[in-house]
Amino acid sequence: MTFAFVFALVAVVFVGAPYVAHRLRRRKAESRLFAAVHLVPPAPPRARRRSMLEDRALFVTRALAVLGLALLGASPFVHCARLSLSRTSGASVALALVIDDSMSMQAKLGTKARFERAKQGARQLLASTREGDAVAVVLAGAPARIALAPTTDLESARSLVESITETDRATDLDGALALARGIVLGLPQLDRRIVVASDLADGRPSAPPLGEAISAPLWNALPELRADGHDCGILRADRAGLRVTVRVACTPGFAATKATPRKVSIVLGERTLADGALPELDAGDVVLALPADALAKAEEPGALVARLSGSDPVAADDVAPVVTVAPPGSVAVVVPGDTEIAATGGAPVVEQALSALALGISTRPLPQIPDRPDDLAPFLGIIIDDPPGFTPEERRALGAFVAHGGVVLVALGPRASAAPLGASFEPFLTQPVRWEPTTSAGADPATAAPLLAESAASLAALGAQRRAGLRPEDAAQFTPLLEWTDHAPLVARRAMGRGEAWLVTLPFALDASDLPLRPAFLSLLEEWIDAAKARATPKRTEVGMEWTFPGAARVVVTGPRGEEVPVARDGAMPRVTPVRVGLYRINVDGRNETRVAEPAQREIDLRPRALALSAAGGSMGENRASIDASPGVALALLALLAIELALRVRAGQKIADSGES
Amino acid sequence: MRPLTAGASPLRQALDWGSLAPLRLRARLVAEGVYAGAHRSARRGAGVEFGGHRAYTPGDDLRWLDRRSLLLHDRLVVRQFETETDRALRLVVDATASMGYRGARAPGAKLAWAAVVAAALARLASASGDPVGLTYVGGGDGTRNVAVSGGRESFERIIGSLEAASPGGDARLDASVIDRALGGLARSARRGSIVVMLSDLLDLPDVAADRIASVAAGGRVVVVVQLLDPDEATFPFQGTLRLESHEGALVVETDADATRAAYLEALARHGATWDRTLVGHGARVVHALTTDDPVRVVRSIVLAAR
Repeated sequence: MTFAFVFALVAVVFVGAPYVAHRLRRRKAESRLFAAVHLVPPAPPRARRRSMLEDRALFVTRALAVLGLALLGASPFVHCARLSLSRTSGASVALALVIDDSMSMQAKLGTKARFERAKQGARQLLASTREGDAVAVVLAGAPARIALAPTTDLESARSLVESITETDRATDLDGALALARGIVLGLPQLDRRIVVASDLADGRPSAPPLGEAISAPLWNALPELRADGHDCGILRADRAGLRVTVRVACTPGFAATKATPRKVSIVLGERTLADGALPELDAGDVVLALPADALAKAEEPGALVARLSGSDPVAADDVAPVVTVAPPGSVAVVVPGDTEIAATGGAPVVEQALSALALGISTRPLPQIPDRPDDLAPFLGIIIDDPPGFTPEERRALGAFVAHGGVVLVALGPRASAAPLGASFEPFLTQPVRWEPTTSAGADPATAAPLLAESAASLAALGAQRRAGLRPEDAAQFTPLLEWTDHAPLVARRAMGRGEAWLVTLPFALDASDLPLRPAFLSLLEEWIDAAKARATPKRTEVGMEWTFPGAARVVVTGPRGEEVPVARDGAMPRVTPVRVGLYRINVDGRNETRVAEPAQREIDLRPRALALSAAGGSMGENRASIDASPGVALALLALLAIELALRVRAGQKIADSGES
Repeated sequence: MRPLTAGASPLRQALDWGSLAPLRLRARLVAEGVYAGAHRSARRGAGVEFGGHRAYTPGDDLRWLDRRSLLLHDRLVVRQFETETDRALRLVVDATASMGYRGARAPGAKLAWAAVVAAALARLASASGDPVGLTYVGGGDGTRNVAVSGGRESFERIIGSLEAASPGGDARLDASVIDRALGGLARSARRGSIVVMLSDLLDLPDVAADRIASVAAGGRVVVVVQLLDPDEATFPFQGTLRLESHEGALVVETDADATRAAYLEALARHGATWDRTLVGHGARVVHALTTDDPVRVVRSIVLAAR
């Protein structure tokens, strides 16, 4: 029988007995026999109710006074579950608080989320710090980050802890501990500690125990946060036509379909369009077919939602927006028609190559570069072969196209050096291009970027007599993907605005070089098409990964719950970090786009990671503290005494008034 | 005012005579008081000696409709004649549970007061040689009807019955007590009889009005005395009350101060309804409180019965 139990019994007796006495003393309404009862209208017993209210106020006051007295007597024996730092030497402490703000911390612990308990523990620990202690706060949601650099300003640490909010990030405990270790080891205090408030579910249950490789003392202050249970979540949902592919993952070892059968549904508003059972494996795709009549409404971003039936500890990953897979789109190809057609006897070689790749895109040959930006808008990208420079209208159209996310591939050839008056290669190149002889046999495979690495060897001998030469200041603006053997750029890429410009210093003409005949040519086109597609489809990143908008002047981001997401600016570049999974609507300089933050598959794994034995941290603090509430209770008792006196005086006045009347 | 005591049956309680006892003496005093005023034991109806006019009421014998008056004054009146036939007095006393009520200001229970009046009427009738009978509506153990008989013994028998009467019975739940009392009376009372009913009219069921009307329809003179306790007439209570009916098992919790006006209004409406109903059927109504002088009330009854 604990003290709390005895205390509760005593409190019940002390509070209950006056109440029973009060009830016994309560006068009942006077009963009478009366013949004409049916003529008497019932009425609320006003006088009796008034009397009860007065009595009840007095009773409540006295009951509270009794409770206060009991508390006052018991306060030396009362302890509560409260974190506090212990100081063996009495010296100041350097404390790094690692708070896990990942998605798995949204699982409930009793009635509260684990994250709230972690914050509460942090508050309690900060309450036990004192002047001279240094505190830093590291958040373990991926990527791990320092929320508060070490400071002795404990008030700012407390306010920071209050400002932390839960997120849907993955867990990066190793990174957070490394950051915390670096912080505490750099502090002058001799007593250094890293306190972890986490469920330890970082998706690596079989990794080495946490804290083994950390030289600083580690204390798992809230072991009750340790994750348990199983979670299932939707990683992504892609729609292609009427087919929706939903990728679902569950905590490994959790036979979701057997224990509690759950389903994946595609919902449009309140209407369920399709549903299917979860895959048997821990992770897998569920393919669902939509009814044909739903297609019109499904085009709107965010209209279709994939939803998991049933419930699990983490609800945030049970819903995901259905994202339309990028439509095949088309690529505009601008070639000097007469020469190419004459050489191949059919379509230009670049068109034939695109057709041979069978990437599912259509090719639109254009006789010349459109003058208006709107005419370029429908295209994923533009391939321009051997242009004789760009007119001012073309420059403006191409500049807008690239700035808004378009990708341009320019193959420079002999016509580049014969640009007519008023034509130039701006905005890609600022200087004229020379069509110059070359002694280099071909490309140097060693310089190939990863995306062309496999096929770069086929470009070792290109048989080119001449090539386009860039001025050094122009070449410096590009990132070479492949270089000639003399280190002049053969293929280069440059980010411009939200798009890219790719440059090849050989034309795609068969009489200029063997480039179009090499396998690397197809690889080049394929990579370029991928880059173009990536910019045309909604961007999808793992939650917590930063989005940047280079060159954008104004960015407005609306989150999955309709909230406005703050946009940070690093110099001139706006940055947004999505911390919630779901669909984000972004307006970049007046142009709308959507992006999706998806949960990390490892975050759905709720199996906790092992912890080094030394992390129990018994000597670093305790989870039990005594409470001295006697001053507050004594003040409350005095207030209650005053209230009772006031009630008595008022009751006496009422009796006197009624006697006079 | 007596609060209800736990364990006591509200339908079976001894009659509280109060200051109205002894009945025999009180009845004689009342009767003497009535004698002291002008009295004339007579009835009107079919006969040989003209006794005046009265307004026509539905159910009157059309033979006695005064056609001359109708032609002259355009009013329906009937001619009345003094008769030499039997003028039996039939007393009907409401002895249901509600009649046992006695308020703080009353000299006795309503039934006791009704007994005094009934006994005085019986004495008056027996002194005139008219036969007298007594019928109860409801009543507790020992309550026995008295058959119609004449002579001095009839008064003694009525006194004995009234002294033994006690309140009881629930006319609201058991309408047969009305039928037993008034149904038999309607069959047995002869034409020209005077029927005096003493009741509070508070707990009687709706069929009671029809039964009284059937008694009045047979050429009998019916006088209904509505008898109330002062408490019932003024509702003098204060504060919160839990009121239980004597009959009908009705319980109402109320604030007396707040509902007094509404009660008095309802009581007035209730009385007016009875008046309209009874007068419409040819009966006469006399209102009385138990604090009223029984002599005055008996005199009113005698006058009403003419």
